[in-house]
Amino acid sequence: MSRIGVFVCHCGENISRTVDVERVAGEAAQLPGVAYSCDYKYMCSDPGQNLLKKALAEHNLDGVLVAACSPRMHEKTFRKAAQSAGLNPYLCDMGNIREHCSWVHEDREAATAKASDIVKLMVERVKRGKALAPITVPVTKRALVIGGGIAGIQAALDIADAGKEVILVEREPSIGGHMAQLSETFPTLDCSQCIMTPKMVDVANHPNITLYTYAEIEKVDGYIGNFQVTIRRKARSVVEDKCTGCGVCTSKCPKKKIPNEFDQNLGMRSAIYVPFPQAVPNTPVIDRENCTMFQSGKCGVCAKVCGPQAIDYEQQDTLVVEAVGAVVVATGFKLYSIDRKPEESPIKGYGEFGYGLIPDVIDGLTFERLASASGPTGGKILRPSDGKEPRQVVFIQCVGSRAREKGISYCSKICCMYTAKHTMLYRHKVHDGQAYVFYMDARTPGKGYDEFWRRAVEVEDAVYIRGMVSRLYQRDGKIVVMGSDTLVGVQVEIEADLVVLATAVQAQDGADLLAQKLGISYDKYNFYSEAHAKLKPVECATAGIYLAGACQGPKDIPDTVSQASAAAAKVITLFSKDQLERDPVVAKVNEKYCVGCLQCKKVCPYGAVEEKEIRDRQGNLVKVVANVNAGVCGGCGTCQATCPSKSVELDGYTDEQIMAMIEAL
Amino acid sequence: MKNKLMHLSNETINLDFVNKVEKLSGSSVRRCMQCGKCSAGCPMATFMEHPPNRIVRLLQLGQGKRILAGRSIWYCASCETCTTRCPNTVNLAAIMDALRKLSWDADGPSKESYVQLANRLFIENIRTYGRQYEMRLGAVFNLRSGRLLKDFLLGPKLISRGKLKVFHQKNRNLDEIEAIFSRIEEMRKKGEAL
Repeated sequence: MSRIGVFVCHCGENISRTVDVERVAGEAAQLPGVAYSCDYKYMCSDPGQNLLKKALAEHNLDGVLVAACSPRMHEKTFRKAAQSAGLNPYLCDMGNIREHCSWVHEDREAATAKASDIVKLMVERVKRGKALAPITVPVTKRALVIGGGIAGIQAALDIADAGKEVILVEREPSIGGHMAQLSETFPTLDCSQCIMTPKMVDVANHPNITLYTYAEIEKVDGYIGNFQVTIRRKARSVVEDKCTGCGVCTSKCPKKKIPNEFDQNLGMRSAIYVPFPQAVPNTPVIDRENCTMFQSGKCGVCAKVCGPQAIDYEQQDTLVVEAVGAVVVATGFKLYSIDRKPEESPIKGYGEFGYGLIPDVIDGLTFERLASASGPTGGKILRPSDGKEPRQVVFIQCVGSRAREKGISYCSKICCMYTAKHTMLYRHKVHDGQAYVFYMDARTPGKGYDEFWRRAVEVEDAVYIRGMVSRLYQRDGKIVVMGSDTLVGVQVEIEADLVVLATAVQAQDGADLLAQKLGISYDKYNFYSEAHAKLKPVECATAGIYLAGACQGPKDIPDTVSQASAAAAKVITLFSKDQLERDPVVAKVNEKYCVGCLQCKKVCPYGAVEEKEIRDRQGNLVKVVANVNAGVCGGCGTCQATCPSKSVELDGYTDEQIMAMIEAL
Repeated sequence: MKNKLMHLSNETINLDFVNKVEKLSGSSVRRCMQCGKCSAGCPMATFMEHPPNRIVRLLQLGQGKRILAGRSIWYCASCETCTTRCPNTVNLAAIMDALRKLSWDADGPSKESYVQLANRLFIENIRTYGRQYEMRLGAVFNLRSGRLLKDFLLGPKLISRGKLKVFHQKNRNLDEIEAIFSRIEEMRKKGEAL
């Protein structure tokens, strides 16, 4: 007869509000095999854990059931407590009477009965549980960082500085990301390039960092500590080892009228180009879609002028496979485009703002390029349509953000601050110009942030108008802005020369596809989900994968850098051990009964099932059976459900346990 | 005027007016974050077409004309509750004073208002008699405002209780009072006083 202890938690009032915990504990005591039961206000607290330890010793328990919250957070807590009192941790289980019961029911009587049922069946499981020993797997002490913006750069530098190898993969021809595009940064107005480019150079020069630019993740296999990543290095058409970055090819290229993406299509670039002068690496790339050589086969100027003969028109995409132990995802964001309504999108779009067809209606990032000293106008604020200096500029916040019907329900977080910054930059460059800002709320939490915004209003004379703009239209070379000031309660009309929209921050294109390759979860906006909103903000639910920056949600530079360093710290912690302990909840094959049909191999989502040959003493093949690589197995149980001969079972979730649970009901 | 569409441009934003208000009141209007605490505690706000916070808001937008077109500033009782409670040290009572002064100078529509008329007669009385002569104040107000019988029936009651004197009593130190008026007028000319 087993001696099981049942501990029922109140979770403050979270459980006890709808479940009569005392009755649940009382009924549990009557169950066969239960030697001790009690209830307590906070089982996860120190006194709660001590209660568990004390009961284990006093009542000589051989199994523990904690009826409390989901095991996701506190299973580890209670198993650790049980272990310290001498019990095998896998003989300690949790019954979920919070998420599965008290939070979702209102009827106290019914909820209490359900909680008792949950306890009853979980007791049956604990009774039939086995003592398990953790599995250890080796850790490859190299990290992969996906994305070369400020988040990826910071994470890569931190990990590399700790003496670990890092592979940094960037989709674009240069690292730098959005931060390299910015003019000056809030709240100190220091030049973005000045603080960004030294870090970019550090990445290029760091002995522990391998940089793959113009490359994308093709495939990710494996698990924490042991990932195999296939990276597609897109054909640059320029051999990186030979290129000296002299720039002759870009200056001689006859095709020079291609809108420059880095300058938000305001400036022009050639078909062979370096995205911006401070690019790292300073190796050009041929834009094959616009290159005359690739389109008609007649040109080849760049190859002729290239001294070191680095141009290679025949270059193909190559695949590189790297073994890494941890992955930091730092793919960043994109800005919501107000261009024509995208197909198959819940976003309705902004017809009233001209769908992006009014040339002098631009987004925040385009304004950054206009204000940037290295931008297409050399830092002069000139409007795109006629190159004139705008006398009146209207900024509109929350375009796409906080608009459930038109766009996205969340707040993009950075727009209030960068719009305040834009009004200042504009005032610094056009002294007699007037900036107007239409806003719904000015959200400026952060050190020195509110002071910064107030400076824009009180010192730099930006006129903030609380209210949204209804419509923009062109009249006599001006843009008429129809808005309202809800504080006064009147309609407002402004004839603007330039309108800047603070469009919403969205997840990067293809973020969902990358998440599927990595096996991490993402929300409905394609932002990657952290394991716990408060207590695990940089970890993914998938072990060994960490998040940094705006790919997880809108973030400004200080937050991004903090999170990147946090992700790096997590990676370094992982790499501090040679062996990694894993939960032993893995499938095991009973070789006696296995007929080697290998159905399990077909269904295994982790690729953990291999074939194993069983031979007799003479070396003759007796039979082929399935074998589970415990290091790879994710413990999902799909094989167990599939196996026709019931010869594969998941430790901790055996058929015997599950049948007993069903019968207990 | 109150709900009329507001055109905003360098021409329609009258910063000169705002600067005058800021100078006269010694208080910034830009510091105001529009929390509305001034209006929340104002005993006269219910009578105003523009409550105190909106007066500041209109100043922020350079819309002095809209303020002067209304009578809100004349309802202000100068109790200074707004100034006392403002979290951002906007001296709204002083701003109201400045606005009243500018309204007076601007010959704005409010100059014709009864409040202003009453104020002017009040001051004239003080200058002439050295103290208030209510009978004259009431009579002249009713004559000038054209509302001859306003509060007429209150007269006998007030007289019978000795609250309204039929004949005036001059202040003995009229010269000194005249000196005060002259001094203020002199200072105004020099721009040293409101």
